[in-house]
Amino acid sequence: MIRVKGLTVSYGAVQALRDVSFEAASGSVTAVIGANGAGKTTLLRTISALVHSTSGEIDLDGTQLVGKTTESIARLGVGHVPEGRGVIEEFTVEENLRLGALHGNESFSAGLADQFELFPVLAERRKQHAGTLSGGERQMLAMARALIARPSVLLLDEPSLGLAPLVTAELMKTIKELCVSRQLTVILVEQNAVSALRVSEHAVVLHVGRVAAYDRAEVVANDENLRHYYLGMAE
Amino acid sequence: MNTFAGFLRRLSLLARAILKVVLAVVAPLAGFLRRLLAGFLRRLSVLARPILKVMLVVVTPLAGFLRRLLAGLLRRLSVVERAILRVVLVVLTPLANFRRHHPVLARGILTVVFVAVSLFATYFFDPITNYNLAAGAAMSIVIVGLSFLTGFSGQVSLGNGAFMGVGCYVAAIWANHHATTPMIGVLALATAAGGAVGLLIGLPATRLRGPYLAGMTIAFAVAFPSVLDLFSSWTNGGTALQLPQLLSPPGWIVSLFSKSTGSLTPNNMWLADVAIIVAGVAFFFMANLFQSRTGRAMRLVRENEVAAELAGVSLARARVLAFMVAAAYAGLGGGLTTLVSGSVAPSNFQLNLSITILAVLVIGGIGTLSGALIGGMVYAYSTTWINQIVSHTNLDPTGSVATSLNGIIFGALLIIVMLVAPLGIAGSLRLFIAKGLARRS
Amino acid sequence: MDGFLASRAVSDLLVGLHFGVVIGLVALSLVLIWRATHILNFAQGAMAAFSAYLGMSLLSYNVGYWWCAIASVFAGLVFGGITERVLIRRLYGKPEINPIVVMVGFLALLEAIATAVWGASGRAVPLPFSFVDWQLNSQTGQTIAISPEGVYQIVAALVVTILIVVLFRYTNLGLQLRAAAVAPEVSRLLGVRVSRMLTLGWILSSGVGAVAAVIVASNFGPGLTPTVMDAPFAIAFIAAAVGGLESPWGALLAGVAFGIMQQFVTDYLNNSDYVFLIALGVLVVVLMIRPQGVFSKSVSRRV
Repeated sequence: MIRVKGLTVSYGAVQALRDVSFEAASGSVTAVIGANGAGKTTLLRTISALVHSTSGEIDLDGTQLVGKTTESIARLGVGHVPEGRGVIEEFTVEENLRLGALHGNESFSAGLADQFELFPVLAERRKQHAGTLSGGERQMLAMARALIARPSVLLLDEPSLGLAPLVTAELMKTIKELCVSRQLTVILVEQNAVSALRVSEHAVVLHVGRVAAYDRAEVVANDENLRHYYLGMAE
Repeated sequence: MNTFAGFLRRLSLLARAILKVVLAVVAPLAGFLRRLLAGFLRRLSVLARPILKVMLVVVTPLAGFLRRLLAGLLRRLSVVERAILRVVLVVLTPLANFRRHHPVLARGILTVVFVAVSLFATYFFDPITNYNLAAGAAMSIVIVGLSFLTGFSGQVSLGNGAFMGVGCYVAAIWANHHATTPMIGVLALATAAGGAVGLLIGLPATRLRGPYLAGMTIAFAVAFPSVLDLFSSWTNGGTALQLPQLLSPPGWIVSLFSKSTGSLTPNNMWLADVAIIVAGVAFFFMANLFQSRTGRAMRLVRENEVAAELAGVSLARARVLAFMVAAAYAGLGGGLTTLVSGSVAPSNFQLNLSITILAVLVIGGIGTLSGALIGGMVYAYSTTWINQIVSHTNLDPTGSVATSLNGIIFGALLIIVMLVAPLGIAGSLRLFIAKGLARRS
Repeated sequence: MDGFLASRAVSDLLVGLHFGVVIGLVALSLVLIWRATHILNFAQGAMAAFSAYLGMSLLSYNVGYWWCAIASVFAGLVFGGITERVLIRRLYGKPEINPIVVMVGFLALLEAIATAVWGASGRAVPLPFSFVDWQLNSQTGQTIAISPEGVYQIVAALVVTILIVVLFRYTNLGLQLRAAAVAPEVSRLLGVRVSRMLTLGWILSSGVGAVAAVIVASNFGPGLTPTVMDAPFAIAFIAAAVGGLESPWGALLAGVAFGIMQQFVTDYLNNSDYVFLIALGVLVVVLMIRPQGVFSKSVSRRV
């Protein structure tokens, strides 16, 4: 479970996040939605310490994450699939996965077999350079790479970006299944709010860095007033 | 396959073990050194600020200062004095406007004034100072070329010492074979030679990005003494090549000064005057280049290549052009140096020269004109200063410490200036002024 | 057979191979640091010579060659790590000019300090093996242009290259090193200690450089001098640029090619000054035709 309390992030004079608080329970998906520039990506990057917070706390099962380095947070079991997927194009699929498995406790061959079962397409392309993969395949690679280390937390930044609707639907289904079967804490940042809300238990609506709403997903989805925050019609 | 995997594992373990030992040594030592360096640099920055403030007061543009002073005085003076001051103000303001509307002419006038003042000053200097001025002026021409290249098109070249050498040798060889060519002709030749070699090296070199380009110019600089050796029939091989006659003023000028007092040596003053005039002309053209469309296009190339290409600036051509200009200037500076010093030798043109040029440029300020001037003077006086340090600390002047002092000082300065104030003296001052003005508005 | 082996062409080939392998080693250290940190270390030669000086200073205490050599390599490893931590750390994220200029300054500084401390005249490096060319035939007195010392040097260079290639390509550590250089942020998200990898890149590269410096100093007439690595560095840079700064084997091969070329040129044209010109010429030609380097796999212009 991840608990965020009073998180504030400033880039000089600009405040990217203001006093953000919410909880993400394990075995559940928490969606973070909002318009462009609302601070969704900043939130994930702050949890992973790629960005420094000005104030606030981030608690992972009793451990404070604020003040730790990105690498150590990753080693604590936080898997972060960044915006744009971040596959290393110069490496092969297998090398990408090996890199992801390095800080895990499992043997690489076992983990690899596991991921290939989840994403058979990756098995076919295991010796190919990641730069040759399609968008959907890259998304699978990025997720497999995060999952192979058996994280307890999964931070997903706009996984549906650039993917066709059918692929997105499959992807969301997979995320939900993984979340439940492995009891992961999933924080799902999405532009595609509708599909995100469909698979999540709770939702955080961000608007210019502040929490505009934080409630159960169905409540947020049905609230007409909230729609203009995340359907791009905000002022 | 299994034994290979096993070997890999053992190799990995061994590598890890060795690296752990090394890191165990490195970490505390590095931490200590880093704190030392950080403290030292911090103290330098703290020291620099009051120095900059003092320099600001001294260097502040005269017009603005005078205007404010006069405006302030105006309020406190009698009617008559007020009228006089108003007339003075009326004269100054159109000057500022003139500068805005006729930049080239204004720059030309400024150059002429500056040169005239300097020429006047050389009348009163002793021969050694004049010689240093001449050498410094010649060197600042080389440096301003590099300032343009690095500051404007962002290319670091360590070949300028070699290009300077090209100019030096062309001037020396031509003067030896055709003693009657006027000085301007020799200088023009040196410039053209520098530019030609610059084009030759620049065409392929500018295809490379930063570090590759620097590396290639290093290779050129290291290779230069060998190249000189190849043409040893012309270049006199490893020994120095002397000019047939030292630079001397034409008859009519000597007669002008024959009434001078005995302590002045017309020759050295002539050296300094020639160097200052040539430098003035060179700087005038460079100043115009800085502000011209070409100059601004090159600055765009350096700061944002994509934007430059979109704006229709030909990247390759801009880079080669900048390289050529820098090389041509280096050739000119080299030719002038030969005329001033009277001889050239291959030992002068090793990699150290290029590094020293870069060092004094960085200290003076990359991408500025005044920085190049500062750099030239620092270079010219550095030998004198180092000799003074050697004598004051009672070091053996032929010993290894004394000879390496130049490298130690310039190497260390290069690193420190780059870390503390990468814009150099002139650049930092400019930034300081700009920030100060912005804060006041 | 003896006649063939002792012939001029084969002799030149062997001498060139010997020299070229050393150049290749320096080129390898440049490739290493480029692949690991995307910085080109201009002070590489000077750092290597400095490490060799530190190691070889033990000779005054009657320490044998092998211990001195190991000490030089160790000094190189530590020196590289310290340089990264103290100097290079401050340069990340700054414009591209800054590390270039700082390393050039470092080059001048190191050579000057070495001159001040140990003097400009050479310091002879003892040879562990005989430098006398092998005799093919004791009756005719014909020799092959390679000596036990030469073989040792070639083998040493090859072993180091193989170790580095194996490390980079086949081990997890190498994977992390490569990842830290090409995708530092993503690597951090995957738990890679990127800053430590960068330090390690410098450590390894500097160690390889130290090996090269010891070998170069063994071959150079006056021995170890502060500027002994200047020319090898320049040629090695050209070789690395021609080979494409991406490939360790490419660097070694290009170095060998240049070494062989140098020997043939020196022998047949009777003048070693042409070497640099030709080397520069080759660089120019390669750059015009294939700017990313002969052995580089990337299609786009890396340069």
